[in-house]
Amino acid sequence: MLNEKRIRLMTKMAAYEENEGKKTISISNYFRGDYISFQVVKGALSATVAFCLVIAMYVYYDLEIFLEDIYKMDIVALLKTVATAYAAILIGYMLISYIVYSYRYTKAKQSLHRYFTQLRELQAMYEKEGRR
Amino acid sequence: MTTLLELKEQIIKFYAKYEVYILPVLRFLAALFVLIMINGNVGYMSRLKNPAIVLIVALVCSFLPTNMIIIFAAGFVVLHMYALSIECAIVVLLVFILMFVLYFRFSPKDSMAVLLTPVCFALKIPYAMPLAMGFVGNPMSIISVACGTIVYYILKYVKDNATQLGNLESDSAVTNFKYVVDNIINNKEMILMSIAFAATIILVYMIKRLSIDHSWKIALGVGAVADVLIIFVGDLSLDINANLGATILGTIVSVLLMIVLQFFVFNVDYSRTEYVQFEDDEYYYYVKAIPKISVATPSVKVKRIHSQSAPKRPE
Repeated sequence: MLNEKRIRLMTKMAAYEENEGKKTISISNYFRGDYISFQVVKGALSATVAFCLVIAMYVYYDLEIFLEDIYKMDIVALLKTVATAYAAILIGYMLISYIVYSYRYTKAKQSLHRYFTQLRELQAMYEKEGRR
Repeated sequence: MTTLLELKEQIIKFYAKYEVYILPVLRFLAALFVLIMINGNVGYMSRLKNPAIVLIVALVCSFLPTNMIIIFAAGFVVLHMYALSIECAIVVLLVFILMFVLYFRFSPKDSMAVLLTPVCFALKIPYAMPLAMGFVGNPMSIISVACGTIVYYILKYVKDNATQLGNLESDSAVTNFKYVVDNIINNKEMILMSIAFAATIILVYMIKRLSIDHSWKIALGVGAVADVLIIFVGDLSLDINANLGATILGTIVSVLLMIVLQFFVFNVDYSRTEYVQFEDDEYYYYVKAIPKISVATPSVKVKRIHSQSAPKRPE
């Protein structure tokens, strides 16, 4: 026998899983701390890539002057400047990642709340059917 | 007005019914349009200008996620740049990678704005972009629109100086690179436009959210005026000599476009037919769920037959 009420509920849930839920359900598979730290690490990696690119571009831009001056330059001071800039960018970017992804995690949890309610409802329906 | 409302209703119904077919067609048209535009403006690699290639790529885009259009468009641009001069290709590629790595990881949804901004620039209505993003986006959209603006001005620079860039001597790659980067960074018009657009997005976004009557109309008006004013002032103080007539005309067209979009696209719930499948212990279900369209009843106009000012009957 087809249980129309249950099919309606399941359709709604399946539609959610197809669209909005695709992202939120995958987010909710993580613990809050795991999800955020994973994203922050990914953010740190991309900040590193971006920083390397910019530095490469910067050196290439002034390559002739750079090569001429390389023996005269105070390498330690240069490295210090580069390291400070890198640290500043890295920390800034990780902080932004942290804020954005903790906001997203909270949002995903809120969006899932209704879905979980429907899930419980479905379970109750099954239990009722099983008893009969 | 009634015919317009009816038209809107019909469009919503049509979309709900045929969304499965409409979306790929729209994606195909968008990809085709963008690629033709790229080929027309910076088409330096003759092989990519082959209509067969353009059609095939557009067809591929039609069934891939929307963001893939951006990847293909970026690929086309880089290849065209490569055919012109390798320095340009490097600069453009680096800019694209930086944008992708730093920003679009966060908000892939916004990346369409990066594609649409240069397109709007090419159509002479870039002012539509900040207004639209103020309505549908959030303050973070500033970055997307700014990225789009930068992409447009890089391509414009390349297009305007194509012969010069094509004849750069290949043995002095470093100097060439420096030359290209200098010219791109020192583009005052690019910076002015980015600032004006950023201010417009913030203004429109903030006013739109106020809980006052006609907030979106006020937002639209204030945004457009502020945009023009900032461009005017910047133009005078930075000595850019942009075409101010075109700015005003473009803004007017953009505002009209926004009014149309506001009516048909923003704030309209285009719910669509869902095709879902699931199973339980006994059955497999293949369900097609069609949304019930509920259209807001058009406002009723009360017409008084006897006017208030009619002379009172003597009692």
